[in-house]
Amino acid sequence: MQRNFLETDRVTVAFGGIVALKDVSLSVVQGKTTAILGPNGAGKTTLFNAVAGAVRPTSGKVYFQGADITNASPSRRCHAGIARTFQITQPFGGLSVRENVMVALAARGVTMKEARAEASTYIDFVGLNAKAEDPARILSTGQRKRLELARALSTHPKLLLLDEVTGGVDRPSIPELLDVIRRLREERGITIVVVEHNMEVLLGLADNAFFLNRGEVVVTGSVEEVADHEAVRRIYLGDADVAA
Amino acid sequence: MLEVFGRRPYLVLLVMALLLAPVPLLQLNDYILHVLTLFLIFAVFATGWNLTLGILGLKTLGHHAFFAVGAYASAMVSHYFGVSPWITIWLAALIAALTGLLIGFPILRIRSMPHVAIVTLAFAEIVRLVFANLKEITRGELGFWGIPPFDPIQIGETTIRFGLGNAAGSFAVAAIMFVGVHLALLLLLRGRCGLTFLAIRDAEAAAESLGVRLAAWKLFAFAISAAVVGLSGAVYAHYVLILTPTSVAGPEMLISLLAMIIVGGVGRFFGPIYGALLLTVTSELLRDFGDFRMLLYGALIIVFVFAAPAGIAGLKPRFSRKETETRKTVEAV
Ligand SMILES: Nc1ncnc2c1ncn2[C@@H]1O[C@H](COP(=O)(O)OP(=O)(O)O)[C@@H](O)[C@H]1O
Ligand SMILES: [Mg+2]
Repeated sequence: MQRNFLETDRVTVAFGGIVALKDVSLSVVQGKTTAILGPNGAGKTTLFNAVAGAVRPTSGKVYFQGADITNASPSRRCHAGIARTFQITQPFGGLSVRENVMVALAARGVTMKEARAEASTYIDFVGLNAKAEDPARILSTGQRKRLELARALSTHPKLLLLDEVTGGVDRPSIPELLDVIRRLREERGITIVVVEHNMEVLLGLADNAFFLNRGEVVVTGSVEEVADHEAVRRIYLGDADVAA
Repeated sequence: MLEVFGRRPYLVLLVMALLLAPVPLLQLNDYILHVLTLFLIFAVFATGWNLTLGILGLKTLGHHAFFAVGAYASAMVSHYFGVSPWITIWLAALIAALTGLLIGFPILRIRSMPHVAIVTLAFAEIVRLVFANLKEITRGELGFWGIPPFDPIQIGETTIRFGLGNAAGSFAVAAIMFVGVHLALLLLLRGRCGLTFLAIRDAEAAAESLGVRLAAWKLFAFAISAAVVGLSGAVYAHYVLILTPTSVAGPEMLISLLAMIIVGGVGRFFGPIYGALLLTVTSELLRDFGDFRMLLYGALIIVFVFAAPAGIAGLKPRFSRKETETRKTVEAV
């Protein structure tokens, strides 16, 4: 059977009594940017965790480039070409920005000297040159998000999962960040899956979208279709009201 | 890695080596040499422990077990089989490393730090009890004596002797081990290995998502750490020439060493050395006060944990105050 670039097949993830994902089947087409939408607690991050290997599905399967990766460790999935950023950023605080980026290179067996040089490419790409030798723990939220992008890039990913990459970032910095993400696809041909709340941002970034609610896929389609969908509007606006 | 090693770690180590080199020739009294020898042995012990505790970031509280394993392994092999201590100390380091792997495996599966602490602590207690109860071969708490000192070395006219009572020679052995171990660790940790350990410490999940094979690296850290601690235990055994399970693997050892690491600076490469120096010397000064020492250590641990968590090594203001505050806010969020 021909499978899509990335597929989840009836993935269920339960944490004790909480069912974070319920029979989620979705697929991501290579070269397209896919958005995952949904209110807080919908299971978006859990979906990323299941794809990147940080949590094992209670049932269901995950396929990447046709191979069943359901039981592969996160590091193996990384070597297979899956990279991610975290909703709550996870910088290596005691390491400099450059050293943060060198970690993945070192894990691939690149020598320290080469890693140091290669890291510059990714630090440049995300525009953190000025901070390259600073400890990561002094970075602002926006800079941390960019650091995570640079780290993820250094793994030479084919698939990149971005979890609320604009979350907590001050508004003026957002366009620049989005530009970086667009270039990832255009210049490097990386297939991207984004979790993002801002509809405007999404319409300019994504091709397809999945709307998750309470762990289930409710709406699927092009990003415009999903954004216009009545259920999405109802749940999202409701969510926005609660948040306001 | 600046925070861990400072700007010029090799220079710092070189200065330490140069300070140590002339000491045996200074005709210091034996007591001072004895205290300095203990300091050097404990500094290596503390540095080895700091590898998992501070650099890998696993809250392991049972490394005195590896000290005991190293000490007893070297003592027993040299005593019962007549193998030279110059050889058995390496064997001891190897056995300690294997023991480290043994406890490393179950630790891998434990995600919560308090549980890591309890399991490793319990492991050390088991090791102590095993040595205490293998009376046939260890004589239990009566003490294992008859441990041979290092074989003398003949250089021209002079014979260098070792073991308690031969202060200058013993100091020299401890100093060579001290410099050698720290140099080897610097070479190891300043490269890919240290980078990976620190990444695991700061954000394990992120490291794993970047392709770091957590299990392999953690086991490696455990093995290296245990080997270093085991080596220091072996050198200790051939210096003091008598071992009891409580003296090497008892609670006093645990508290003293933790105090050295915490006071010196957890996760700072040179921190444990400063801590070992300060506490070995003060504890000798307070020897007449007996159990009061433990009280002092306990108090020091508490004070440093709250007031100066980066220890003596962190007192030099390497980063600005502003930065410390950013870090606090970030952690509070
Ligand atoms: N490690 C975990 N342990 C227990 N519950 C979790 C865990 N991770 C997520 N959850 C729960 O799963 C649900 C989905 O969470 P999450 O995937 O983070 O949602 P989202 O990213 O869409 O906001 C929430 O109810 C959350 O509390
Ligand atoms: Mg989330």
